[in-house]
Amino acid sequence: MEILDPTHEGASPDFAPAARLPSLGGATIGVISNGKKGTKPFFDALERELIDKYGVANVVRRTKSNYSAPADADIMEEAKQWHALVAGVGD
Amino acid sequence: MNLNSKRYQVDDLQSTQEFYHSRKWTDGLPVVPPTPDLVEACLEWVLMPADHLVGIEPVRQRAITAEKLAVNAVMAGCLPIHFPVVVAAFTAMLQEPFLLHGATASTGGCAILIIINGPVRGELGMDGTFNALASSDRATTVIGRAIRLALCNLLDARPGDVDRSTLGHPGKISYCIAEDEENSPWLPLAEERDVPKHASAVTVMTAGAPRQLMNEWTTKPEEILDTFVAEMKASMRHYSIWPGNYAIVIPPQLRAHFEDAGWSKADIRRYVFENARILRREWAECGKAAVVGKHGDTEYAALPHSDHLLVIAAGGPAGGFGAVIPPWLGHKSLAVTMAIGACLDCKP
Repeated sequence: MEILDPTHEGASPDFAPAARLPSLGGATIGVISNGKKGTKPFFDALERELIDKYGVANVVRRTKSNYSAPADADIMEEAKQWHALVAGVGD
Repeated sequence: MNLNSKRYQVDDLQSTQEFYHSRKWTDGLPVVPPTPDLVEACLEWVLMPADHLVGIEPVRQRAITAEKLAVNAVMAGCLPIHFPVVVAAFTAMLQEPFLLHGATASTGGCAILIIINGPVRGELGMDGTFNALASSDRATTVIGRAIRLALCNLLDARPGDVDRSTLGHPGKISYCIAEDEENSPWLPLAEERDVPKHASAVTVMTAGAPRQLMNEWTTKPEEILDTFVAEMKASMRHYSIWPGNYAIVIPPQLRAHFEDAGWSKADIRRYVFENARILRREWAECGKAAVVGKHGDTEYAALPHSDHLLVIAAGGPAGGFGAVIPPWLGHKSLAVTMAIGACLDCKP
């Protein structure tokens, strides 16, 4: 019997990993939270570590207006000014 | 017809089951083997080529083709005559206001509720009477299941993968209901939502589990609705306070009282809109004092507007039972209604 593959078989080229930074030293790193309570202590710790351990110059913290939707357009526009960003969820 | 899916050779029906189960391509129940002939029959029924673009998932930009949807529909048990409903429902789900990616990924664990209106219900043998919210008939069961399998296989909404639901609910296996238009004095839901009279249509909603209620001790519309309102308030207190689309299912025994009193669906929606409200401080009564904050006297309505209430006539002939189906994420995800066979890109 011949049967067919039910899964999405197409490529997703838009979701290739972003280019890695050679160094975090002196960089501006954005951190986008989904807005849930658990993200705050987690990203507080991440911010401290980025600055203290990796020499990041500036950490920009932003929160999405809807925790189940993509980040707002103004955040994505601002993100163009950052060297890299971390998006995270938490509950 | 030129199908593009990868093909596999299996020995028999049993090995087909194990082949698909072992790859996590099922919901755990047996599937119909999606042979090229069966998939082609679905596509021919809707007059769509295999690569017809049903739509693109807005967040991950995944193209959903008619062929892939048909493969999953066959697996779910759909016949070709069921496939137009599957196509319409998935097309509606891909509209941006529906927020499909969030709904399938959320810890909130909602399911996709599909409500069917119009002549297609009779053509497919759908039954909106006995056991309306469960396996009332073959068509609603397999159509609801096709949607879930397609989400798993085309958008990776498998538990623990994209689907991060903490609990989920049984509607995630299949959650499809046909409105009982023949035994109802009211406008069908789709017609209330601007689909032309006598056209067949689907309405999709990101929905929590149904919350069943009972009131057999009054004939007054206001008192019957007060029971529905109480259930909506309970959902606002216990689950989420944010306003959005709620669906309420009203069975014949209760519908008769509304008919006697001359109440339309619009009257019901207005009454519920005005009364389904709580104060933020009520959270303190159910263990959520920590999030009351300084706005305890702020009033929250269950519905942003009366139009956000989906009133569905369904249920067996006896019993004063009804159901409230709450929204997943307030008004951040909106119910979408679409005529079956409608062309989104066609000019008038």
